Amino acid sequence: MSYYVFTLVFFLFDYFILAMGLNIQYGETGILNFAYIGFVAIGSYVTGALSLPNSVGTGQHYILGLSLPFPVNLLLGGLASMLFAVVVALIALRRLRTDYLAMVLISLSLVLYDICNNYVPLFNGADGLYNVPEPFAGVLHLTTNSFIPFFAVLTGVIALAMWFVMSRITRSPLGRTFRAVRDDSVVAAALGKDVFRLQLRSMLIGSFYAGIGGGLIIQFSGSFNPTAWLPGETFVVFAVLIVGGVGNNVGMLVGALLVETLLIHLPAFLPAIPGHPGLIEYLDAVVIGVVLIAMLWFRPQGAVPERLRKAVSFGVRDDAVGDRPLVVGAATPVVAPSAVATAGLRIEEQE
Amino acid sequence: MQSIAEEAALRCEGITKAFQGVHAVNGAAFEVPRDKITALIGPNGAGKTTVVNILSGSMTCDSGREFLGEAEVTNWPSHRIARMGLMRTFQLSRELGGLTVLENLLVAPARQPGESLLNVFFRPRLVKRQEREDVERALSVLDTYGLYQLRDNRASELSGGQKKLLEISRAVMASPKILLLDEPMAGVNPALVERICGYIMDLKRDGVTVLMIEHNLNVVETICDHVIVLAEGRTLATGRLSELRENVEVVRAYLGEVIDASSAS
Repeated sequence: MSYYVFTLVFFLFDYFILAMGLNIQYGETGILNFAYIGFVAIGSYVTGALSLPNSVGTGQHYILGLSLPFPVNLLLGGLASMLFAVVVALIALRRLRTDYLAMVLISLSLVLYDICNNYVPLFNGADGLYNVPEPFAGVLHLTTNSFIPFFAVLTGVIALAMWFVMSRITRSPLGRTFRAVRDDSVVAAALGKDVFRLQLRSMLIGSFYAGIGGGLIIQFSGSFNPTAWLPGETFVVFAVLIVGGVGNNVGMLVGALLVETLLIHLPAFLPAIPGHPGLIEYLDAVVIGVVLIAMLWFRPQGAVPERLRKAVSFGVRDDAVGDRPLVVGAATPVVAPSAVATAGLRIEEQE
Repeated sequence: MQSIAEEAALRCEGITKAFQGVHAVNGAAFEVPRDKITALIGPNGAGKTTVVNILSGSMTCDSGREFLGEAEVTNWPSHRIARMGLMRTFQLSRELGGLTVLENLLVAPARQPGESLLNVFFRPRLVKRQEREDVERALSVLDTYGLYQLRDNRASELSGGQKKLLEISRAVMASPKILLLDEPMAGVNPALVERICGYIMDLKRDGVTVLMIEHNLNVVETICDHVIVLAEGRTLATGRLSELRENVEVVRAYLGEVIDASSAS
């Protein structure tokens, strides 16, 4: 029983991390990253390959193979994902916006998928990586049964730390400038903001989260292959984002709970419908689609909507309002309108 | 005596821009005198907004040159031109709709320490101090522009006139040296027109050079020191509006003939 529960806990926190990464890119900066699952895959492959020994004699083919300990391999997995973000940004981000950018990104994701799936020397092709060592299993004498709760809790701790870091970023002036780029990149540029560099920064932060989330998956399950990151998987993370509430980090946890844990992984543990084996898994996709449509229809802001940062959060007291003008039109401009009036301006209705 | 060229805050020479063969701007050349309010007028389709888009870097030109003071900034990207002190507003107000009114202003200051990841995590006091200063200044600007009570409203919820004020106040928050206003009075009620005129004159008094596209000739006559007339993408004439009223070409292209009521009947 604990195996099931802690598997759900692991995926809850792992998708919380993944959703936070996509949220900073899409929810905060407006980059429609349809290649997101590619960044997750790179983090996963690199984390796994770095923790595996040299491939000679393992029956697998892969690069790296440095037997690096956890969490060094995980951090490098995150950095590898960031490196991919730099490549993607140079190809796509500098010149493209919105839907054109999304199309190029999804194409890059497909190219990456085909390379990893077919070029065996890279990450063992369609078989993917397996027998990846379980972190701390030797040191803490963990069995397979005790490893799962241990790693689920560890993932929870990592997720909360990453949530703290992400909250600092999104609540900072940098987060505000990201949202300015999201709302109108032309205006942001007209205010002196280097939109490309800001988007690149957002891509790098989000990719690091994707890489870490991917790395945790391979460390948890011990294997990773192309069936785990079909390009459509990107839309599962988008579903987490939309259901949870775009632009709200807490919403990402709620979205991960509702979509990833309850709709995707929980049904996998349900007993099969007699005479229809595998039907529940197929119904998953239908249910997610229906939930997504329902959310977009009835509550497009998501379960936990983006919060406005009001003046009081900057330390501005409400009682300072007293003697301020109430509405536009009530203010008395300092000097000039009277000067205009004395200059004899004839006010005429605008066409 | 200084020449006009030395006094010009903004200068462009032979600017051209074509859209699939249609010449929107066709050799526009003019100077915007420093610390003055200059109007850019002309008939619809004269290329005024395209010129402002080019001058502010939102669009590149096909040929020609642009100078901010002595520095050539031809086809520089928008953010680099803005960092030189040139700010702009848009013909149709473009507020940052998901942000509050206060946040719209807080985005504006250049080179904020809090926009650096390293500062956010390793120099939080510096970020906080700068943020406090910016908030105080933003509230003061909002107060001046009559938007203080709306500071916590989502910018997308403002009315058309309020959005115009928000755009101007946001540009002011960025401490511009040159401000390009694209039809700031369009769709604005008469009382607000008067107030906006006041704000623009205040900006001039504070040493900001203003170039504004404007169709309301009363406004142009009252607050503008200098007028540039654009027609068919070219600079037709420059000078004071009173002088331009005597210019046959300007009258024909834009101002129109004065209809004598007695002869009309």
